[in-house]
Amino acid sequence: MSELYKRYVDVIVLMKKDRILVPKRLIWDNDREYEIDKILSVEKRASQVGGSGIRYEVMIRGQCRYLFFEKDRWFIESLQP
Amino acid sequence: MSERIIFHIDINHCYAQIEEMMYPALRSVSMAVGGHEETRHGIILTKNDLAKAKGIRTGESLRDAYEKDPDLLIIPPHYEEYIYYTNKVKEIYQDYSDHVESFGLDEAWIDYTDSRNLFGEPEKVCREIVNRVETELGLKVSAGVSWNKIFAKLGSDRKKKDGPCMITRENYQKIVWPLPVQDLLYVGPATYEKLHRREIRTIGDLAHYPVAHLQNAMGMAGVMIHAFANGVDTSPVAETDEVNIPKSVGNSMTLIHDVHSLEELRPVYYVLCEAVASRLREQGLEGSVISVSLRSAGLDWYGCERKLDQKTNISDEIFAAVMSLACRYDFQIPLRACGVTVGHLAEDRKVRQMNLFVNETAREKARKADVALDQIRERYGFYAVRRASTLLDRPLTEFNAKDDHVIHPVGYFQGRKMTV
Repeated sequence: MSELYKRYVDVIVLMKKDRILVPKRLIWDNDREYEIDKILSVEKRASQVGGSGIRYEVMIRGQCRYLFFEKDRWFIESLQP
Repeated sequence: MSERIIFHIDINHCYAQIEEMMYPALRSVSMAVGGHEETRHGIILTKNDLAKAKGIRTGESLRDAYEKDPDLLIIPPHYEEYIYYTNKVKEIYQDYSDHVESFGLDEAWIDYTDSRNLFGEPEKVCREIVNRVETELGLKVSAGVSWNKIFAKLGSDRKKKDGPCMITRENYQKIVWPLPVQDLLYVGPATYEKLHRREIRTIGDLAHYPVAHLQNAMGMAGVMIHAFANGVDTSPVAETDEVNIPKSVGNSMTLIHDVHSLEELRPVYYVLCEAVASRLREQGLEGSVISVSLRSAGLDWYGCERKLDQKTNISDEIFAAVMSLACRYDFQIPLRACGVTVGHLAEDRKVRQMNLFVNETAREKARKADVALDQIRERYGFYAVRRASTLLDRPLTEFNAKDDHVIHPVGYFQGRKMTV
């Protein structure tokens, strides 16, 4: 398995009136934006790259990734450091 | 009444494990969480398994630890994170009971008795809690289950890998009694010494010892530990949001360098008194007994106290009382640490008893000045406003006594009466 890195990212989020957070887009390196196409699961989980929080299993351009809401910010388990 | 079911769950070497959870690379090095060497709070607070294997012990000085393992990585404590994550752990416990009583940051008792009809068999549920903490927060915990708090805690100390340690009326003599007597809560080094002299080595020895002899030797404490050894402990698990009014509020400080005169000590006490007064006001309390403790460079303790005519939470009044006590110290041996405690606390009802000899207007002014300081600090940080005298020796007074020492040791009874 390839090594994973913890990457904090900017996320555009929809906050619903029942306090549920729905991540919509992810901003990478301040310039590239990625649409989150689908959320496959939402669970409280610890991350293998360190930290824990609410884990969103998301589909971006046909690829599955784990996006975490940790305390008050977002990180992704990334293949790139 | 049916038998109680108490869980005790303990986060294994808590601070080190939280650091490892946040930064998994730490798992592959020998690591400990410890105080800053340069400010002389240098002891090991907790260590990971690799450091443990090299003989590093909790409580030893950083210097001793480095001698055993020069490659030891020492991380300063991040209390804010520890408080955050241990609260998250306790939120999981609270899914199963409204009686969750914390014992320090890393341990808690959960009274499961009335939840059994909702969630099912204790062993299965306890296992479920342990698994949830690991998958949701990445932290390993060990659990014990028994009919009283003391045995539940002994169970979790055994750190079984394959699930909670169940201590029942049927098996406790087999599990608990062979354990060394110092494993029992409240058997510290002094008590251990007394028991040892009576050939009491195991908890079983203690349970069989004539209680009258223990009472003669140790008073009620002897009766209490004898009852604990026999599983007689009816102390309840506190309700989750039960708050105990503290008996005293205090702060103490190991000084960055030894202090040779009262003049040098004065600014330190300004900072400490402001911190204590501020904590009293925050909790809506005031107190009338001011105690001062001083530790010399020879590590001797010197303590004294005085009672004020009226209760107070005004920093100037606490400070004046402190200085009247501290001036009794002759400084033949310089001081290494000092502290102040305010006791005989009561709720601050904001109603003042007028007194012919006390100027209440001046007191009200001093109180308002204190509150103004609190508000400035809350908004702009602790160092935004300070007394000019504390600038004379910045390193000595550069500490935030109120917020830097948020972890206070706790007692088992938390102010409740002992019931044995």
